[in-house]
Amino acid sequence: MHELGLTRNIIAIVSEHAGERRVKRVQVAVGPQACVEQQALSFCFGIVTEGTVLEGADLEFIEAEGDAFLIKEYEFREVA
Amino acid sequence: MCGVCGCSDETNTVTMTDMRNGNVAVVREGGLHHQHDNHNHHHHPHEGEDQPHIHGPNGEVVMLETAILAKNDKLAAQNRGWFEGRDVLALNIVSSPGAGKTTLLERTIKDMKDERQLYVIEGDQMTANDAERIRDAGAEAIQINTGAGCHLEADMVGDAARTLDPKPGSILMIENVGNLVCPAMFDLGERMKVAVISTTEGEDKPLKYPHMFQAAELVLINKIDLAPYVDFDEETCRSNIKAVNPNADVLTISATTGEGMSAWYDVMRKLRPV
Repeated sequence: MHELGLTRNIIAIVSEHAGERRVKRVQVAVGPQACVEQQALSFCFGIVTEGTVLEGADLEFIEAEGDAFLIKEYEFREVA
Repeated sequence: MCGVCGCSDETNTVTMTDMRNGNVAVVREGGLHHQHDNHNHHHHPHEGEDQPHIHGPNGEVVMLETAILAKNDKLAAQNRGWFEGRDVLALNIVSSPGAGKTTLLERTIKDMKDERQLYVIEGDQMTANDAERIRDAGAEAIQINTGAGCHLEADMVGDAARTLDPKPGSILMIENVGNLVCPAMFDLGERMKVAVISTTEGEDKPLKYPHMFQAAELVLINKIDLAPYVDFDEETCRSNIKAVNPNADVLTISATTGEGMSAWYDVMRKLRPV
């Protein structure tokens, strides 16, 4: 239910870090106790990234332990 | 529009109503495309503005290792320091809708009014009904309406607490949005989460919603006066709580009849803000 707010947090953190550069991929670690529904997060990600430097970026998940819920890394787009 | 929960629509504006004077303040704007606070600060000038704008190597991977709830956790830590500095005991009351949180608070306010001053932050999606009940019971209250949001977050509680301005030595009850899922994730800066489960919900709620009962330090089994009519077995309920959280204290109460309430007041008397 709260995945939209979580998605906004992810985008705020990454776009603050990336500045004006466009982002191609974000990798998030989710533990089984994190209370996070990955499908809902992916759904929200596509919508909330519109108009940001993350627009069109892929959201990747990796497994983690416990209640971990982290942004592991992100990748910049290549500048033409 | 978020098809999962609908929480991206315009009704997602979060408001705060001060029940003492009826003032309504917007805590968060609704809608999706909110401006980032320091957005403008990114426009730093560059030499040769007409040149291709390249910041270094292309397509590199940046390791972040940042907790996604770090911002909420930081604000919660600020709230915790604020409560400690003012000697205010903050409790985060969580339950499913209808478990009796507001009735619990009404009775607590009336029974403790000669002893401790109580303040209440009420969280609901819509209406100020609960805050009106709290005000009528004799406590100062602020109603936060989360719109489509499903839980309170630390920034909302920080704003509401500063507006309420509780006196030293008082108790601040934060009545979270009725929901046994999401509020478990969000630290508000409280001394502890108190989960309320009522006999009419059945004994297996702790097994169905383990996150919340793991996050709570105290569980109140409410509406015990109704137990005989709804075939509720207290021992089964207690063993289910213990199965998901062996460390939780459990009290059996009826906020309507007053049964067991003195044990709950004793818990609050012994608790320090941190």
